[in-house]
Amino acid sequence: MSQIALTIALPFLAAFLLPVIGRVYEALARVLGPLVLLYCLWLVLQLWGTGDGHPVALAMGGFRPPMGITLYVDRLALLFTLLVSLMTLLLWPWQRAADSRECALTLLLAGSASGLALSGDLFNIYVFYELVSVASFGLVAVHRSGAAFVATLRYLVISGFGTVLALTGIALVYSQTGTLNLAQLAQLAPDLLAGPVGLAGFLFMLLGFGVKGELFPVNTWVPEVYATAPARASALLAGLVSKLSLLVVLRLLVLLYQQEQALQLLLLLGVLGVISGELAAWRARDLKRMLAFSSIGQLGAMFIAFSIPGNAGLLAGLALALHHLLVKPALFLLAAGWPGAVERLRGLARGGPLAAGLFVLLALSLIGVPPLPGFWAKMLLVVGLAGQESGYLLALAVVLGAAVLEASYLFRVVAQLYHRDEEAARPRPYLLDLGSAALAGAVLLSAVPFISPLGDWLAGTAAQAGDREGYIITVFPAAGRPLYSAAGGGKPALAAAGPLPEPKP
Amino acid sequence: MMPAGLPFLFYAGAIGLLVIGISGIVLSRNLFRIILALALAEAGANLLLVLAGWHWGGSAPILGQGKALETMVDPVPQALVLTAIVIGVGIQALALALAVRAYRAYGTLDMRRLRNRMNRDIAAAAGIPAESSRDAPAGGRPTPPVPAAHRSGGGRA
Amino acid sequence: MTALDNLLLLALLTVLLLLAGRRLSSLGWYLTILFGAQFAGLLMMGALGYGAPPVPSSLHIGVMGQVMQWRFDALSWLFALITVGAGLTSSWYLAGDWGRHYRQRGGNLWLLQLALAVNVFSMLLLLASGDLLSLFIGWELVSWSAFLLMALNGADAMRAALRYITYAMAGAMAMMAGLGLVLHTAGSLQYADLAAAVPTLSSPQLWGLILLFGMGFGVKMGLLPLHLWQARAYSETPGPGASFLGAVSTRMGLWGLILVLVQLVGLVPIADLAIPYTFLDARELLMWVAALTIILPTYTALRQNDARMLLAWHGIGQGGYMLLGVLMGDAMGSAGGLMHAFNYATYQAPLFMAVYAVRYRTGTSDLNRLGGLVTRMPLSFLVMLVGIIGLAGLPPMNGFVSKWLIYRGLINDGQPLLFIAAVVGTFGTILSVYKLIHNTFLGQLRLEHVEVREAPWSMTVPMLLLSAVVFVTGYLPGLVLDWVAAAQQAVGLPVLVHTLGGVESPLGSLDMIWVSSLMFAGFGIGALLFYAGGNRSKAVHQLDNYAGGHFLSADVRYQYSDHFYAGLMRHIGPLYRNSFQWLEGALGTTVETLGAAMRAFYRQHHPAIYLLAVTTAGLIWVIL
Repeated sequence: MSQIALTIALPFLAAFLLPVIGRVYEALARVLGPLVLLYCLWLVLQLWGTGDGHPVALAMGGFRPPMGITLYVDRLALLFTLLVSLMTLLLWPWQRAADSRECALTLLLAGSASGLALSGDLFNIYVFYELVSVASFGLVAVHRSGAAFVATLRYLVISGFGTVLALTGIALVYSQTGTLNLAQLAQLAPDLLAGPVGLAGFLFMLLGFGVKGELFPVNTWVPEVYATAPARASALLAGLVSKLSLLVVLRLLVLLYQQEQALQLLLLLGVLGVISGELAAWRARDLKRMLAFSSIGQLGAMFIAFSIPGNAGLLAGLALALHHLLVKPALFLLAAGWPGAVERLRGLARGGPLAAGLFVLLALSLIGVPPLPGFWAKMLLVVGLAGQESGYLLALAVVLGAAVLEASYLFRVVAQLYHRDEEAARPRPYLLDLGSAALAGAVLLSAVPFISPLGDWLAGTAAQAGDREGYIITVFPAAGRPLYSAAGGGKPALAAAGPLPEPKP
Repeated sequence: MMPAGLPFLFYAGAIGLLVIGISGIVLSRNLFRIILALALAEAGANLLLVLAGWHWGGSAPILGQGKALETMVDPVPQALVLTAIVIGVGIQALALALAVRAYRAYGTLDMRRLRNRMNRDIAAAAGIPAESSRDAPAGGRPTPPVPAAHRSGGGRA
Repeated sequence: MTALDNLLLLALLTVLLLLAGRRLSSLGWYLTILFGAQFAGLLMMGALGYGAPPVPSSLHIGVMGQVMQWRFDALSWLFALITVGAGLTSSWYLAGDWGRHYRQRGGNLWLLQLALAVNVFSMLLLLASGDLLSLFIGWELVSWSAFLLMALNGADAMRAALRYITYAMAGAMAMMAGLGLVLHTAGSLQYADLAAAVPTLSSPQLWGLILLFGMGFGVKMGLLPLHLWQARAYSETPGPGASFLGAVSTRMGLWGLILVLVQLVGLVPIADLAIPYTFLDARELLMWVAALTIILPTYTALRQNDARMLLAWHGIGQGGYMLLGVLMGDAMGSAGGLMHAFNYATYQAPLFMAVYAVRYRTGTSDLNRLGGLVTRMPLSFLVMLVGIIGLAGLPPMNGFVSKWLIYRGLINDGQPLLFIAAVVGTFGTILSVYKLIHNTFLGQLRLEHVEVREAPWSMTVPMLLLSAVVFVTGYLPGLVLDWVAAAQQAVGLPVLVHTLGGVESPLGSLDMIWVSSLMFAGFGIGALLFYAGGNRSKAVHQLDNYAGGHFLSADVRYQYSDHFYAGLMRHIGPLYRNSFQWLEGALGTTVETLGAAMRAFYRQHHPAIYLLAVTTAGLIWVIL
């Protein structure tokens, strides 16, 4: 199981070697990235098959937790690692494979995203988060137009603000508990992180790690970046990276902050995100920004789902996240072939019936029309929200109203596509883009008969992810006693540890 | 031999750096100043992190100097801060490179002008008129209610 | 494989065959035959008489802890009869010349036929649902297939269809919230569990159920104030699609309301929900909404100048009658409501067909540009005459029976105000349908229409068939009342005691056989006198006349059909305030403005200020 670390290390290695190899063997440089990702994919699939579904904690370098870096591999982390390799492979920039810089950045993104999914340590999460940020900065600015640079800069400024907040939050958490290992924090959190300092730490970390997750209000970068970045980068950001940010927030919520105020905060930010995203999407005049705002709205719904106490919320959020991960990148790939204002899309369905049909299918699933998977995810959210008190009922009304708005503006686009006017030959989606989008559509359709087993599997994954006690016991099997004891105000007493462990070879 | 109030000074310094940095980000219009302010804020956050593990009156966490383990300051935050500083430096370098490119493309470092140029370019690429709050709002005016006296016949749906 | 499975499979097969057979010629006839087979299958399932148990499907799907199942009871059977019958006649109508003409004008005939088949299949699936989850899935399928049918004609139709889908999604989302409420209170989405949990519901929860499901089903039905989308959307649907949608689609909402509000929740708990500070309870509120739905759209129809819009507005109004009848909850009123659903389908479909036949031959359906076609298109005139007599609710057609039952029910229930409302609605109906037939068929024939021929047989036969049904079920209403009684029993309403000719009860009797026979006897005596007395009639040309000191000439227009009912309009004209449209416009403007505000939020030049504000606010909230 410790080979899972290869999914982090190998892409990094390949990323750094790529420019060098590119100068020597260009043909090898073109295929090195996809080969590495394919190997990582095969590795994860193998580990999935041989594992028994129980979570495993890996101590890197032989340093036992909480001193060393822990990788926590449960079903959720494994799923996300798999999705990282898969999505990066599918969204690989084949057209610009000669540009070793873009390939290297994509590999960096893949490696650090895997690291983010697997981390069991707060600072490790921070480091990988920053790595993902840097990789995405580079990927967004690939077009090298003035607008792209400015959009990346604005993204960077907000991301930097978020970094500062996240670091402050981590400092606050450390000052209260004296550790950054997630399992030990989970043990200490109910006592030490329940006060205002702990909650302030949560606020800062949420805003910091929420930048990638398009949390309101740190999501003002979204429309500009998605409008100026190449479609595959937008797809990767919207589809994959935002879900990793969600995963981080999930771990924070489950392990550290289960109290009501944290959930209320998340609910409020989620509701504001849904309202602002969907209303802004209504007014969008070009397809890419419409999809970007719609993305904000949907991620807001996922945050609302996570703010429901209990496993029902986790399940709904995960279902929504997986569905969005499938649908949004496909939509962005289709939108890449239809640049410009929505009015310019008039009559395009005649020339590209497959693309237009895919758009209709994906739009229907996004809105939540049964029997497509999007409906079941939304149903889980509705059922989860319906049983709570008034704040959650308001969120339910907002989410359902947002669905009406979505139907309206998405089908405005469909109306333009299927307009009766004759159109001259217009640029159509690039074949590979179309193929990837068609693959997504096929997966969507084929998931329909298997909704029930998928739902059960997801419920098991969510239950495992939401099991705080199980997390602690996996990382500290000796009846949950950490290496350090939290003495007094929480500062660790070094003396109690005895001699430091020898680094194992 | 530690002056009383030294801890307060350090904490004030860290939070002060944070505040200066954040207010710099918020209030500056020049891109370069924003990047500098970001660097300051990150320095403040790093200082805060080191202080979180500080043991007042303690010694440097280096083994083999004959000092007892209990009197050493916590080395973990210091390791974390090293990483954070490196990450910060990397991002600042990237930001400066992007700023140079943006300046070459647009000829200004003023955030407001940069945003306007960017929006105009995005709108031009999409073929839609650029929105600006100074112009007339796009789209039709909202229909006011027409009083019954002015209503004419003809059943429109 | 039960009978229901066979029926659903046959409907699915129809869709698949259409998908595969795009290149087949005379596809329309195959479709008609398949619909005929479905109809036959439905009739063979007619063991669902009074007291028979529901026909289950052998399909059970378990998803996420809920079990979905399907079954047909007598109520579903009645509505399915209407659905498949409308589908059959519509596909017959478009199988021949009309379809060819449509294709020549650039329409996609195959897509129209496919949409029709998909609609019928999804409606059958909806009617067969056995629990709330399959109900919702069927409902969404029906909504989106109707969207497909409406959007076929492009530009204007697409706009109307977009308006429709916004309303429909709002209703569907309300229903989804209702599903969440049911799951939370009853624990599962099975019908039996909901029915069992109703007595334990608190007042706000019951209100929530009524409002959410009422909104969901009411959007489709066109209940006020959710009706604005319907007229334009139906009138822009191509020909037989319009007749199909007008006849059936709206009734799906009625079926849903009957199922949830009457069968599952029950009228008694609804009637117990008093609204504070008024004399109304929830049931009476719904009845008044139905009454307003009768009056306002009917008088809006009065002002229409396009025949299709006029009929579409009537469709909304008549739905109010059905709901009013059903909500009364007694034997007569509810029988009237249910029978009206059937009757309405039988005369709305041929009315639309006649209008489209005229449109096919003359190229227009504008009432101000037609006239005098009775001599050129006598069969269409006959169909329209039968249709409007039915729509107006006059003997000897079937509309009279259902309206009589509703009036009688209202009187028995002691609701004088609602009775007056219903009568006012009928008055408006009679006025506007007379305008329809007068402006189209009566009066002076226009010069450009002198050469117009009758519609081809492929179009007139289904129309005449439906008119025959209208007449026969008017003469022998007991045929339909059998089915209605079975449906009443399935739903839990008191059953109407009826005979072949009508109703016989201490609360009021009606015998249509006597009424119609007397009417025709009267006509017969007149005819006897006329023909036996020597038939001293002479056929003259319409313009062989003398008026105002002049002989008539063909190029002068003597019939004034504009500003029909000018005198009436002078009095009630100021009452038309387009308030609902203003409300809809205001809502749209609000959304636009909010959207612009959000858009501006995302365009600010320095978002850090907002971030700081939010962070500070969050800190304060956290510390306090």
